[in-house]
Amino acid sequence: MTKMAEEQWRSGVILRRNRPGSSAKDFRRWPDEPFEEMDSTLAVQQFIQQTIRRDPANLEAILKIPEAQDDGVWKYEHLRQFCMELNGLAVRLQSECKPEICTQMTATEQWIFLCAAHKTPKECPAIDYTRHTLDGAACLLNSNKYFPSRVSIKESSVAKLGSVCRRVYRIFSHAYFHHRAIFDAFEKETHLCKRFTYFVTKYSIISKEILILPKLEDETPIAQQPGESEA
Amino acid sequence: MKIPTAMDDSSVSHHNGGQVGSQIGVSVNNKQNEESSQSVQYSIPGVLHFIQHEWARFEVERSQWEVDRAEFEARIAFLQGERKGQENLKNDLVRRIKMLEYALKQERAKFHKLKYGVDLQQGDMRPPTEEPTQEPEPSERAQWKQGRQLIKQYLQEIGYTDTILDVRSNKVRTLLGLNNEEPADDSSHRNCDKQQHYSMNTALNRKMYEYGGKDQRKGAQQGSGYNEEGMSVQETAAVFANFEFLSNQEMDMDEIDDLDAKQMHHTTTKQGEDVDQEAEDVLTELNLLTESEADGGQGDEFPTVKFPATSATVAREGDGKPLALGELAQLTVSNESEGYDVASASKESFRKTWNAKYSLRSHFDGVRALAFHPTRAALVTASEDHTLKMWDLQRTVPAKKSAGLDVEPLYTFRAHTAPVLCLAMGAPRSEECFSGGLDGTIRVWNLPPPIADPYDSYDPAVLGPVLREHTDAVWSLSCAGGRLLSSSADGTARLWSPRDPRPLLATLRDDAPGSTSAPAAADFADAACRAAVVYTDGTLLLYDLETGQVVLRVPCDSPANRVRSHPTLPLLVTAHEDRHIRFWDAVSGRCAHAMVAHLDAVTGLALDPNGLFLLSGSHDCSVRLWNLDTKTCVQEITAHRKKFDESILDVAFHPLRPYIASAGADGLAKVFV
Ligand SMILES: [Zn+2]
Ligand SMILES: [Zn+2]
Repeated sequence: MTKMAEEQWRSGVILRRNRPGSSAKDFRRWPDEPFEEMDSTLAVQQFIQQTIRRDPANLEAILKIPEAQDDGVWKYEHLRQFCMELNGLAVRLQSECKPEICTQMTATEQWIFLCAAHKTPKECPAIDYTRHTLDGAACLLNSNKYFPSRVSIKESSVAKLGSVCRRVYRIFSHAYFHHRAIFDAFEKETHLCKRFTYFVTKYSIISKEILILPKLEDETPIAQQPGESEA
Repeated sequence: MKIPTAMDDSSVSHHNGGQVGSQIGVSVNNKQNEESSQSVQYSIPGVLHFIQHEWARFEVERSQWEVDRAEFEARIAFLQGERKGQENLKNDLVRRIKMLEYALKQERAKFHKLKYGVDLQQGDMRPPTEEPTQEPEPSERAQWKQGRQLIKQYLQEIGYTDTILDVRSNKVRTLLGLNNEEPADDSSHRNCDKQQHYSMNTALNRKMYEYGGKDQRKGAQQGSGYNEEGMSVQETAAVFANFEFLSNQEMDMDEIDDLDAKQMHHTTTKQGEDVDQEAEDVLTELNLLTESEADGGQGDEFPTVKFPATSATVAREGDGKPLALGELAQLTVSNESEGYDVASASKESFRKTWNAKYSLRSHFDGVRALAFHPTRAALVTASEDHTLKMWDLQRTVPAKKSAGLDVEPLYTFRAHTAPVLCLAMGAPRSEECFSGGLDGTIRVWNLPPPIADPYDSYDPAVLGPVLREHTDAVWSLSCAGGRLLSSSADGTARLWSPRDPRPLLATLRDDAPGSTSAPAAADFADAACRAAVVYTDGTLLLYDLETGQVVLRVPCDSPANRVRSHPTLPLLVTAHEDRHIRFWDAVSGRCAHAMVAHLDAVTGLALDPNGLFLLSGSHDCSVRLWNLDTKTCVQEITAHRKKFDESILDVAFHPLRPYIASAGADGLAKVFV
């Protein structure tokens, strides 16, 4: 180990790290590392982030599972990445989605979503629903009980991903129907909702009936919910 | 700690020369007039006279001191005599008791013999002079043992090891002259034990204060930590309520799931309200519990600050005063009383082995920075997932497999629009922290109270002012005396008064020709009068914060990642890409020591508040603890896994409590006790 580190340090091979003082534009700007060569326990996360960085709009590439990659870990790491990037949407919503105006978590008028982060589900205002759902997802997805490892995941824990996905989707839909400008700006930058929809459809994580957002441009086709009334 | 420049030196000596002139002015006035009194005021006789004068003065002072010393020696002798007297008195009293006991026994025996005509078997009937110790009653003895064990356990928990306890109880014994006394001479074993035990307790208390002499609040805080261990019923209840709440919440996540989606708008209004009511009831109940807990906690926290109130504490609390000065003042205070003891005590308490106790899992990506709360057992972490999280180490969930504890975050701070890179905690009681991000902003946060529930409703009051002058990533922050020092990839370090209407106080830029590299990190130095800034090319600069000018420039060829200034000494420590940690004399700029500290780039540095230990973290996945005195590694802990080629990104010491922590690219933070 000593020798290897020394060798590496001397020979100046590529070190994929962000040095303090480096410019924001250089953050994580290093040559791609082939997935096969990643020996870290965080290889899947590394690979996903690397692919997103290359082109956030290329959903095919981002969601193309590497050969011999465990399916559960793949979905799990993608969901982590979604929740993380959704922080960006939550930050934007914080400035506009006020509890006085959006007193309930709604998308269309058809549903009120109760916040499951509480002992008893609660009718949290939309912004709280958003924050509580993301915080709860962070706790669940990092829980030592359900996800002690990032290399292999129990089948029973993979089953938990579905409920997180359903809740997370409501954040997108609330933003879409109530804060369209924020949604569009965020989507333009990140393609996150498109990616998410593609993800949950591809792996049939949530049923198509729940996906109430109209088809976003250049999105893979999703069957649309009939008889939907927009707010 | 001021760094004299050449200019300062000359002005000082000139001033002295002036004094010489005025002092000898009376006697050598004529001479001076005779000699064409030009600008030069020195003359050999004048200087000689001055030296003689000074000599005489010193002699007088010395004799004064001699007198003082004699006086103190007399006082010591008197006190020693008094102690001896007290001891004699005690021995005398003990002897009397023995005599009385003996007499009583004889009387009983006589009575018994008269009544039954048989000799009473009464253990021992020898006169007290040679009486062996009477065994203490077993039950009572067990009680002491238990109590003693319990105290030991508490002390261990707060960082006092067995050896220290032994050393201390020994010290106490010698102090009381117990070691010198022959056990046979000593009346009763029990008495002795009791007394010793009692004195140990008091002595421990005393030691805590003394330990606090170094940093009063440390001792006090430990004292209160000890109190907290013995949790009140209320607190325990609150904690349990919390556990229950958390586990239920997990259940909710899967079971409630379908329930909430089924709630149709028109049919569920009523049901929803019921649910609401119920939830609220539970919440208020919880709040009540936690509130009372917090009250207790605050009661614990603040009086402790007050109690041995000395100039030191005041100095620290004084708003403008920087922290380092407060510590200096405290150092002197402790030196006056029992300097050596204090130093050795805190050294010994660090001789313990640190073990991972809490793992903080909730970030989705690498944790770039962490900082402990100035007083509470709490910390804030900053992550590449764009959030900061606050953790309370007293609200834990027991982890399944290991002996460690999982902590769930108390609060998630959202406002950065890019990875958060650095963090600084505000002054004690300010309940604020600062974060800098890849988005170029520095944000001020108002910490939510410890009773906050992670699932409370959103309160925008956590958001403080935003400092936007940096035009590129902000990589380091440090806070002292209400001022904030930042360094950014835009090539500048900046000094802020974060809550002022015009917060930017100064911009520090290296104007030397050819300097193009950006600062990698910065730290306050010299009682926050200066700023130490390391650049990505390895250069270390010391800026005067009054003038904004560079007062010291130290070139170094390895890129630096971190700089920390010693809390009490003019010493700067830098962490380098070439695996070295370097120590610099902050006055001369000389490299005092350089060592290969890790197997890979050194990324994190922290000094303990007393300046005795150094903590370093590296991309080699290990955290190392160094004795600053000997520059030897005291402990190595493998703490985090790699993500790409990064591993440990930050390390920290708690300013008062025995906690250290590390933050890793693997998205975890760990706290060691
Ligand atoms: Zn809203
Ligand atoms: Zn909620």
